[in-house]
Amino acid sequence: MSNVILQVDNGSKVYAGVHALQDVGFDVRAGEIHALVGENGAGKSTLCKSIAGAIRLSSGTIKVDGQPVDFQRPGDALAAGVCMVYQETSLVPSMTVAQNLELGREKLITRLRPLNIKAQQQLQSLNFHVDPTALVATLGTAQRQMVEIARAAYHDARIIIFDEPTASLTPEEKLHFFHLLHDLKAKGLGIVFISHALEEALELADRITVLRDGRHVVTQDAGSLTREDLVRHMVGRDVQATHYGRREGARTDARREKVLVVENLTMGNIVKNMSFTLYAGEVVGIAGLIGSGRTESAKVVSGALKRNLIGGGTVRLRGRAVRYDVPKQAIDDGIVYITEDRKLNGFFETMTVDENIHLGHLATRRGYKWTVSGRERRTLAGALSEKLKVRSVSAHARIIELSGGNQQKVVVAKSLIQEPSVVFFDEPTRGVDVGAIPEIHQAIRRLADEGKAVVVISSYLPEVLAVSDRILVARQGRIVEEFSAADATEDRIMFAAIH
Amino acid sequence: MAQATTSAAAPTAGARRWKPSQEQIVLIVTALLAIGFSLTLDGFATLGNFLALMRSVAILGILGIAMSVVVIGRGLDLSLVATMAVSSAFALQLIHHGWPWPGACAAGMAVAIGIGLVNGFIIAFVEVPALFTTLATGFLVFGLGRTFLLDGMIIYMPKGQEALEWIGQGRLFGVPAPVLVLALMALVVQVFLARMTLGRFVYAHGDNLETARLTGIAVRPLTMLEYAICAAIGCVAGLVMASSTASMNTQIVNSTLIFDVILVVVLGGVSLVGGRGGVLSVLAGTALIGTLLNGMTILDLDNNVQNIVKGGVLLAAIILDNRLHPRDEETARQGD
Repeated sequence: MSNVILQVDNGSKVYAGVHALQDVGFDVRAGEIHALVGENGAGKSTLCKSIAGAIRLSSGTIKVDGQPVDFQRPGDALAAGVCMVYQETSLVPSMTVAQNLELGREKLITRLRPLNIKAQQQLQSLNFHVDPTALVATLGTAQRQMVEIARAAYHDARIIIFDEPTASLTPEEKLHFFHLLHDLKAKGLGIVFISHALEEALELADRITVLRDGRHVVTQDAGSLTREDLVRHMVGRDVQATHYGRREGARTDARREKVLVVENLTMGNIVKNMSFTLYAGEVVGIAGLIGSGRTESAKVVSGALKRNLIGGGTVRLRGRAVRYDVPKQAIDDGIVYITEDRKLNGFFETMTVDENIHLGHLATRRGYKWTVSGRERRTLAGALSEKLKVRSVSAHARIIELSGGNQQKVVVAKSLIQEPSVVFFDEPTRGVDVGAIPEIHQAIRRLADEGKAVVVISSYLPEVLAVSDRILVARQGRIVEEFSAADATEDRIMFAAIH
Repeated sequence: MAQATTSAAAPTAGARRWKPSQEQIVLIVTALLAIGFSLTLDGFATLGNFLALMRSVAILGILGIAMSVVVIGRGLDLSLVATMAVSSAFALQLIHHGWPWPGACAAGMAVAIGIGLVNGFIIAFVEVPALFTTLATGFLVFGLGRTFLLDGMIIYMPKGQEALEWIGQGRLFGVPAPVLVLALMALVVQVFLARMTLGRFVYAHGDNLETARLTGIAVRPLTMLEYAICAAIGCVAGLVMASSTASMNTQIVNSTLIFDVILVVVLGGVSLVGGRGGVLSVLAGTALIGTLLNGMTILDLDNNVQNIVKGGVLLAAIILDNRLHPRDEETARQGD
């Protein structure tokens, strides 16, 4: 029973000088279900992807059946019997179920009839009621997942890794999926599953491993753990060791004018009846898991996304109902959104630091001029760079030559030069070097002190606690809990954020 | 500081060394070629030949400058030659019908700008990729123009239009007028792109559309402006062409001229990735092509060899562009 089929020793993965994984040990036994839990960014996906050959570890060893392996690509892992089922399914929608099962193993000429028969046998042996000749595009989420699992079994996988398998399933489908996991387990397969739902992990798994900040925290039999233990392991940092001091004297009395009222904001399936109110001079933190609709609601309010035309809710800016089609309108009204992914849509890579910041000024109604003045650019951009302590070789340095933290400061400066009264920060310190984090936090605080309404969306709880006067918790597209800074703890926020 | 370990620190060290831009490489190659031709070919290094060289590529240069405005904004206008031919032929025809030349040229220009605005509208608001939009509108412009605006395949230059004749055939201090028109267009677009806010917005648009949008630039009207400017300059090129050949043969739409235009634009370093290069890059690319063609003509190489050389140069330019501006996933996600 307890023979180890996969083992990771001292696994580390470094991205741009930041450890996504650090000296993690992990093992999977034949015939067990092993749950992997942790906060966003704890390293769960990184660990699993390295086991499945999608990425390579920077250091450390992976052993399958005691033999060290070095997977260059997912195909190598598959050949060794390791298969990963991703959150977004990796099936080809325009092919049939049978063709998808065969995918990656096709011979030069494929004859469909024997293939369909073989696929039918495979699906029946797993008790899946899926037509092998159906196009994958016509299947629902749960059925696609079945096909993925069948595909793993078809390739004689002995270890199957599931990334958030239950996130998009209905309760009945979940039940069926759990039965299936038990069947696979009974056949002697090793199952790894990543989950945010702690109850599921406790109910289903034989053992649970908790990761936090890229490190291994604990691996224990599920029977000996409680939900409270798990939450404590997930968030229980040594606060002294982090760079995030709790803020002294968070003010709730300092509320002044009611600036922005959002009521029942709805956008597709992601934001559902989101409601919150922002006051001048206050920093509001929004915590929650990825996919809880935080980013999307901020983008809707700032014009980057459009809410539902009918039943989309209302947004009131100082009592006036507003609906923006493009960000320009929101910016002219003083609402800015600072992106969570600066490389994707935060800065202009061909331009210098000064040009980036100055463009923010030129793009406003107030700052627009027909011609560009070099002197104006140097004065305005220089002043903001100094205020935000942007450190670069020179103002003529191109922005891609800067470190992550300095790039982030430039992105912030580009928005602050637009003189907003409402500022949304989305993951303001993601991928930012350690030294720059407190400086960005100071800048956020200073904005509130200047009387602006500030929102900080962050998946990192210590950050939320460090900068916020008031903390909202989002879950499944709505705000489910509100804390004052004094009452909030990581445990309580995490409890509210996990269903 | 911890910054030293981040990936962003690496390019900083590299930037200390001088790395030639594509524009500079092209200019150096042009100079070497010119020196080589002067030493080996009789009659290359004369003032007359030099002016003839410039004159021969002036129209190509004007079209290249037109195209560069949309390419810098990460677009492409394959309908440029059709727009040029139809709008300038329409202007000539209005003169035949008794319009004074300034009015006729303004009307031709209006047609061109209208086509540009339609292109921009479809690309920005209907969100069809520029390649497909302008490929289709190119056919439409040619077909509709021939059906509703023009009387024939070839519209001849009306007699006695001295002002119009001058821009194709005249000279000022010995410099052919088409070269002067090219210089004027280069100056106007250079001022627009480098000194005007809207020009900087064009670069921002080409660099990163979503960033430009989130920064508050009105990207969609800006796209329409880019295509309108491109078409308007295209109309100027058409008038110069009509004037220098005393007619506008709309069959030029079926030639490979549009690819020559893209060649000079990309060659000089106006990357198809967007946001890079400028007017000087187009002039550098035009100079190289002009020198090559001129040299090959004096050598009396046949057409096939000329095509081989042109194709090879284009391929080399695009490979160089890819090397200098890699935009694969690796760099896009660097440091995540």
